[in-house]
Amino acid sequence: MKWTGQDTVVYEKAKEYVDTAVIPLLPVAGGKEQQESVLMGEFTQYLTEYLEKQYMGRVYLLPPFTYLKEESGEEKKNRLTAWAAHFEKHGFKYFLFVTADMQWRKINLEEAGELVWIPAFSVHDMEPGKRHQAIEQQAQQIIPLMTQQWT
Amino acid sequence: MSEKKHRVSRRQFLTYTLTGVGGFMAAGMLAPMVRMALDPALEAGADSDFVSIGLSEDELSEEPQRVDFTVELDDGWYQSEQTQSAWVFRNGDEVMALSPICTHLGCTVNWGTNEENPEEFFCPCHFGRFERDGTNIPGTPPTRPLDVYEVEVRDGMIYLGQINQRD
Repeated sequence: MKWTGQDTVVYEKAKEYVDTAVIPLLPVAGGKEQQESVLMGEFTQYLTEYLEKQYMGRVYLLPPFTYLKEESGEEKKNRLTAWAAHFEKHGFKYFLFVTADMQWRKINLEEAGELVWIPAFSVHDMEPGKRHQAIEQQAQQIIPLMTQQWT
Repeated sequence: MSEKKHRVSRRQFLTYTLTGVGGFMAAGMLAPMVRMALDPALEAGADSDFVSIGLSEDELSEEPQRVDFTVELDDGWYQSEQTQSAWVFRNGDEVMALSPICTHLGCTVNWGTNEENPEEFFCPCHFGRFERDGTNIPGTPPTRPLDVYEVEVRDGMIYLGQINQRD
């Protein structure tokens, strides 16, 4: 399910079936690093949207968790765990954090949920059919990480 | 002629004119709204577009195979392409194309991915199951069969049309 009015209506009725939150982690930066951060963001968004589409009955795609690139690891971690804890209180059991930002690999998020790090590639210049295929291929790598939690 | 012989008084004349003009204005405002409301209903009845999925009839077997194809969406002047999937197979004499959207909460179903039930469609979200012809298996979350595409075979090639619900 997506963060839209229409989907929240469905969610209210089917709450007990939706127990997994997917949160994209997007670094934000201006200047020299802007291009890279946009590329990562775009890729992560396509990827998480694909996951949402395939598993919409059980997965809620939350708004992206954004942070400045220079924000310290500790701070980021605290803010993100607060997000997860908040949604855990409201009925979510599983958390999947999807990012293209390497920094997260050094941060231990095990208590909060599953971290998936996938190197980004530029998607904006691909034609739609190709892009869909490429994204699908990458998604197939992460899907087991999510479905394994369920069984 | 004297004033009294006029059948229409000034007051009446004004009333008529105002009602007339008002009526036209109301009609002018309502007509587009009514048309907007009716338009989709009128269009759905019209011949809906069939899309080739690039697969010929001889390539089909009893085993459902997944095909992806793109549909062009016309949303006003904004055109976009949307990827859709279908599970296509031969069911007796006819060609059947099922929508992969689980009728429970909309996840994507796959054929034969559940090891215990290899000859069924399986939804990974809440373990819903469907038979080969799309019938939902009682005791699993879905409450109605998978939706079907309208299928047309032209010169041996398969074309899919709109998606219809079954109950």
